[in-house]
Amino acid sequence: MPEWRTDIRARLAHLDLPPAREAEIIDELAQHLEDHYRELLAGGVDPVEAERLARSDFQAGNVLAKYIAALKLAHPPVAITPGAPSSRPFGGLWQDLRYAARMLRNNAAFTATAVLTLALGIGANAAIFALVDATLLRPLPLPSPDRLVSVYETTAQTQRSYVSGANLNDWNEQLRTFERIAAFAPNVASMVLGSEGGVPETVPRQWVTAGIFDVLGLQPIAGRVFSDEDDRSRASVVVLNERFWRERYNADPGIIDTPIRLDGEMWTVVGVVPETTDVIGRSSIWALRPLLGAPPRVRAVYNLRAIGRLRPGIDLDTARADITRVAATLATEYPETNTGRGAALEPLRDTVIGGDLRQTSILFLSVVAFVLLICCANVANLLLARAAARRREFALRSALGADRRRVIRQLLTESLALSLTGGVLGLGLGAVILQVAPAVIPPGLLPPTLTLSLDLRVVVFCAVTAVFVGLLFGLAPAWQATDFAAARTIASSSRSTTARGSGLRSVLVAGQVATAVALLVGAGLLLRSLVAVENVDRGYRADQVLTMMVDPPGMPSLVQFYDTVEKEVMAVPGVASVGWATTLPLGESYLGSVPFSVVGDPPAAQGREPEADYQIVSASYFRALDLPIVAGRAFDDRDIDGRVPVAIVNEAFVERYLPGRDPIGQRIGIVQYWIEGRPAMMREIVGVARQVKGSVDEREPMLQIYVPLAQEPMGDIFMMVRASAGDAAALTSGVRAAIARVDTAQLVSVRSIMTLDDVLAQGTSRHRFRATLVIAFAALALALAMVGLFGVLAYTVQQRSREFGLRRALGATTRDVLRQVARAALPMIVAGAAAGLALAVVLGQLIASMLVGVQPVDVATYIGVVVLVGLTAAASMASPAWRATRVDPAIALRSE
Amino acid sequence: MTDIDTRALDRELKRGSAELLILSLLDARPRHGYELGKLIETRSRGELKFHLDSLYPLLYRLEERKWIKGSWVEKAGERRRRFYKVTPEGRRVLAEQKKTWEKFVEAVRRVTGDDHA
Repeated sequence: MPEWRTDIRARLAHLDLPPAREAEIIDELAQHLEDHYRELLAGGVDPVEAERLARSDFQAGNVLAKYIAALKLAHPPVAITPGAPSSRPFGGLWQDLRYAARMLRNNAAFTATAVLTLALGIGANAAIFALVDATLLRPLPLPSPDRLVSVYETTAQTQRSYVSGANLNDWNEQLRTFERIAAFAPNVASMVLGSEGGVPETVPRQWVTAGIFDVLGLQPIAGRVFSDEDDRSRASVVVLNERFWRERYNADPGIIDTPIRLDGEMWTVVGVVPETTDVIGRSSIWALRPLLGAPPRVRAVYNLRAIGRLRPGIDLDTARADITRVAATLATEYPETNTGRGAALEPLRDTVIGGDLRQTSILFLSVVAFVLLICCANVANLLLARAAARRREFALRSALGADRRRVIRQLLTESLALSLTGGVLGLGLGAVILQVAPAVIPPGLLPPTLTLSLDLRVVVFCAVTAVFVGLLFGLAPAWQATDFAAARTIASSSRSTTARGSGLRSVLVAGQVATAVALLVGAGLLLRSLVAVENVDRGYRADQVLTMMVDPPGMPSLVQFYDTVEKEVMAVPGVASVGWATTLPLGESYLGSVPFSVVGDPPAAQGREPEADYQIVSASYFRALDLPIVAGRAFDDRDIDGRVPVAIVNEAFVERYLPGRDPIGQRIGIVQYWIEGRPAMMREIVGVARQVKGSVDEREPMLQIYVPLAQEPMGDIFMMVRASAGDAAALTSGVRAAIARVDTAQLVSVRSIMTLDDVLAQGTSRHRFRATLVIAFAALALALAMVGLFGVLAYTVQQRSREFGLRRALGATTRDVLRQVARAALPMIVAGAAAGLALAVVLGQLIASMLVGVQPVDVATYIGVVVLVGLTAAASMASPAWRATRVDPAIALRSE
Repeated sequence: MTDIDTRALDRELKRGSAELLILSLLDARPRHGYELGKLIETRSRGELKFHLDSLYPLLYRLEERKWIKGSWVEKAGERRRRFYKVTPEGRRVLAEQKKTWEKFVEAVRRVTGDDHA
């Protein structure tokens, strides 16, 4: 009888069929050949020929294998043999994933804890990344933004003086490296927009020069932008912000070339520009300020902020050399005004984003990175604990022939599945944070053009972070858990403690404690700064003051107008006093600093005069704010136009420039740059006012010169209304009605209505925002670290329950057992806290510039943090310790 | 005009007809593989002949489609054999294929018949 099976088996061999099925096929085919062979024999064919003929049932080549390979039976679903070696590098990845999914599903509590922890960490990072992306990484939303620079004039005092329009014209004529320089007024003020029959409305307006939109690279959405012809003919033209055009005019193109009434005069709308123009100021209307053909004295008026567009391929240094050369030419040409004046350039992006915001972004990013590290440590701890529990499984797999690499891959797949799930959830969390962020972020912290959005970059960031942390927290546990040699030795006893595992976990917990301590110290320092700025001695004593900016255009007598309004407002019930000033205490200085000289002192070199903050106030100002006059007198009815020009200086001014002299009666010369062509004005000091803070976090006391409003009438001025009792904000409508009674022609614009407390809150908002966020993250870090500590202790107690039982049986007291638990915990906490404090010393130096009224190394903060960590650590130790004391010796020993 | 891929048509015809042959032979009663091969060869008077290495993969394919079902049957004094029978699904397919086949033959007949008319 011929042997058929060998031949058939050989034909099927390489198909790798399931053994049972292969045996069946071999059986069946062998039977077929046998039947054929027998039939041939029966037909009289000799055995050799019969066998040959039967075998010829197979065609040439291995057709059988070819056909069977195409069948499903040749592709059975792979049985899951976790850890079995695979011939392909990524073979079985799907299988790994499915196995990981099953493992994670079966341990829902573990999975939920790990995923949520990671989602927290990744979510916080996603949101902060959006901020960092917007502030540090993304270019400005303007064409060729890298060619845009801010242009400043420089003097001996400052590297960032505003620019004179005449100098700007000369720059444009003589510079070779710039396409153009244009400018805008530093402040967005407002105009009153008249409407037929309706209520006039106050509209934000900013002055700009003709070329500003060309320099920014912005094309009009409708109509056109300002032309040089507009500039030459000094046309009264405006362009509208797209936002305003849509909201106020329903995007009606018919508004183009239509005259509108602004501040009582007719202006023509020539075009609409995109919202991106907000980069120079959040305005609704941009009005043309002509530069060409201005009188020569304009050269001494420095009131513009300039932006230049460099020619393609010109770098900053080349442009700097060019503008310095031109500035030197101008200095020789106009020695009176331009001696000592240079020019400075700065990338526009740096101007817009600002160093403070950049620092804050970096601070936040480092903080959330630390939080993420703690999250990773926690998950790693969870994985280590679980890996210890799964050692028998790994040992079994190893015994079944799994190699270490393959099992590590399986475990890494599990941790990646965890981190990616956490990443997806974290992305969602980040989206939620970004949704609520605008309500939480203080206004003015972010530049107007800067938006926080969840875009592809954030998604990619999340994905990369998730993979990174998945590997980070997965690798050590996987490596350790697959130490099969160790696993086999311990597999026999489930009670042996895994010394190395618990060592690694202790290090992780210590690291968490260290990170939390460092973050808490940072949060503490920022909190103390916040407390310092919130309790800053403002100088004035009034609380409950309502303020608003009042801008009466084209009044025949401003002083009379202010007097009338003051009287009308004083009549409003609840009003105690009214005053006027160009600057709000703790608000931005509206007029800025002016150069001055003390008469009789040796004159300073030109361009090197000392400067002091210049403020125009009404006689009623000091009374309204309850700002004490410490020497001499306040302004009164004597100090009016035509009488001796007077001034009041503050305490710092006297200390610095009139030490040891009686300030009263001294005369100072003040250069009033904003009044065209006027020489220095001599003023006699009649009083010394108490020091007020210029800003909540000023480093040096501000020097101030107050001059009386009656001698220096000024539009765009703040009215301050002090309430006799109760909330100042409640006076708003009464005060507005009083102004309206005086302003019958409806030409007065009233805006920026807020209380002085609001102004202070705005001044401190950055500090508050920073402190709040860092405190929140530090608290989160502390909570996570304590969860980690709790986890390790609970695990240790469980592992050592037999030992505790034994000790109890041998007469150990509750106190003894507690001491044992504490002994397990203390090294982690102490080492962690020590490392954290060391880290905090370094971090403190990095945030030194953000601190006010507290040193980077602050012992009180350190002690506070150590106490806090100690208390929370004790709290997280309580439950495991309690459990340790409750171990029943009988039960603990019985299970042996 | 659509080109007819004659090679593909040929392949489809062959495969379709082979399936038809097997299903209709098994429709009468269950048979084993050798018997099927033998029957096809004898009834076609040697015109159609299945090699073992194409017959069995075809049977397995029909089985995977659940048109036929194989089961091992042991008879006294003989080695076990695998018998195949048509499933209800297979019967439905057979009816359909017969109809299609008849239509096709009829169409071909009409075309070729007209030429002679």
